[in-house]
Amino acid sequence: MISLLKIEWLKIKKYPAFWWMLGIVMLTYPGINLMFFSVYKEITQGKEMANNLAKMLLGNPFAFPETFHTVAYFSSFFVLLPAILVIMLITNEYQYRTFRQNIIDGWSRYQFIGSKLIDVAIISFIATLAYIAVAIGFGIYSDALSINRWAEQLEYIPLFFLQTFAQLTIAFLLGYLVKKAFIALGVFLFYYLIVENILAGYLKYKQFSWGRFLPFEMSDGILVAPAFAGKFGDKSKESYELAISLVYQQVIGTIFLTALIWFICFKIHQKRNLG
Amino acid sequence: MDAILSINGISKAYGSIQALKNVSLEIPKGSVFGILGPNGSGKTTLMSIVLDILKADSGSYSWFNEPNHPAERKRIGTLLETPNFYHYLSAVDNLNITHAISGRGSAAAIDEVLEIVKLTERKKSKFSAYSLGMKQRLAIGAALLGNPEILLLDEPTNGLDPVGIAEIRELIIRLAQKGITIIIASHLLDEIEKICSHVAILKRGKLLTTGTVDEVLSNEDIIELSAANLSELKKCIQEMGGYSSIKELEKSLQVFYPIGTANMEALNQHCFNRGVTLNLLLHKKKSLETKFFELTND
Repeated sequence: MISLLKIEWLKIKKYPAFWWMLGIVMLTYPGINLMFFSVYKEITQGKEMANNLAKMLLGNPFAFPETFHTVAYFSSFFVLLPAILVIMLITNEYQYRTFRQNIIDGWSRYQFIGSKLIDVAIISFIATLAYIAVAIGFGIYSDALSINRWAEQLEYIPLFFLQTFAQLTIAFLLGYLVKKAFIALGVFLFYYLIVENILAGYLKYKQFSWGRFLPFEMSDGILVAPAFAGKFGDKSKESYELAISLVYQQVIGTIFLTALIWFICFKIHQKRNLG
Repeated sequence: MDAILSINGISKAYGSIQALKNVSLEIPKGSVFGILGPNGSGKTTLMSIVLDILKADSGSYSWFNEPNHPAERKRIGTLLETPNFYHYLSAVDNLNITHAISGRGSAAAIDEVLEIVKLTERKKSKFSAYSLGMKQRLAIGAALLGNPEILLLDEPTNGLDPVGIAEIRELIIRLAQKGITIIIASHLLDEIEKICSHVAILKRGKLLTTGTVDEVLSNEDIIELSAANLSELKKCIQEMGGYSSIKELEKSLQVFYPIGTANMEALNQHCFNRGVTLNLLLHKKKSLETKFFELTND
């Protein structure tokens, strides 16, 4: 395990796309949250009655402990960036034919897929660290007095990691099966941004509840919209509470799907001709 | 001699194309073993199977007379088909990965192999900036890293200039003298003949022959002889008998005898007694190229 980690680090540490991705994540996570934070400030800062009403209704979603939830939700919009890196890392192995060379040099086929699982875990971990840093930063910046409540919603940290890891696993599966970077990226973007959204919307419209078990919907359900989303009337409250009550099912479903994908990859790689 | 690799009845098909048909052979420890065959004969497929890159449809193989295990491949320095490295990494970084996976070599050994393959000056350049010949030399360097017990080289001289080819040939001879087993597939029959102790010849997935180079080449004795009067000489040989065929060349005759039956002294004496004085008498060895074409031409 440690040896696989060291070898993957040798491959990644001088890969320019890795550092580009890291840089962009470091900009986009604070960026998207800053955008919503400034909207929040705008609608709550005035002295009008509407501003006060908005403040009462929304609370401060960027103060502790709600910051862990809010920042996780907004940051998760950008899973696309690490997904591109994950797809590049596996398709590079095909392009350079190093997926064969690693086996020739003495890895087992399990070790090869294990090393890719480690890549996905490393990237998810880094994204999670970036999220934690942004959440803490906003918590302190938006309301320093709330800091004594810092430990109240820490469960969002593992939930954010799980969602990122699960969605990057799907990206890996596409890269692993498709082998060509641009085709895999195209399929990923098309499915992630278009197909599943249309399908999920359609199923919701038709009131089929199993739409929430579509691959991305499943892990999207782990991080529901911030608490203020449930404060716009009875209907929103009801749907927020329902989403919260289903989180544990979504977590179990996500763990199952993610484990299944890795199991399939391990099995395929064990039998596949690496030609 | 102990077999370092035993291949037992391996078959492999790609759809309707039978790439290997029930191939069995043994590679002795310490040999320089050439695997020959025209394009598409199954050489690379066979090498890929014994490296677990491809799965055989049937048959088995065993390295070091032990049950198959990935760790065995760490003892084998391999160049299979093309140099496979991370394009964005330098030669040193790529060899660090080879070292980390295989456990062969060290930082000093990396510098040493880069010196052997003459890449020291470019060791920090990215692999993507290398010429074809430099990429090939790096792949040979990776195979040599940490002095593996076996070298498995598929077309090692691809992309090399004549000087590079000669250097690799010398290197292989030097390594063979140290007792390293070398398995080599090549189209360059002349090269193979110069360096190999054993050969196997494949055609359309079928093993045509295998054994020591001498065994494979010498299934008959060839005597080349000449005299002032070739027709008299031919009569003389026909009288003596024992041959399997006679081939008339422009200024000489080639007489083919069953293996081990040509007696040059008796032949010379017989011709002399019949009043024919020889001005040429040679025991010729068939070249590997001739043998290869004999076996592989339809």
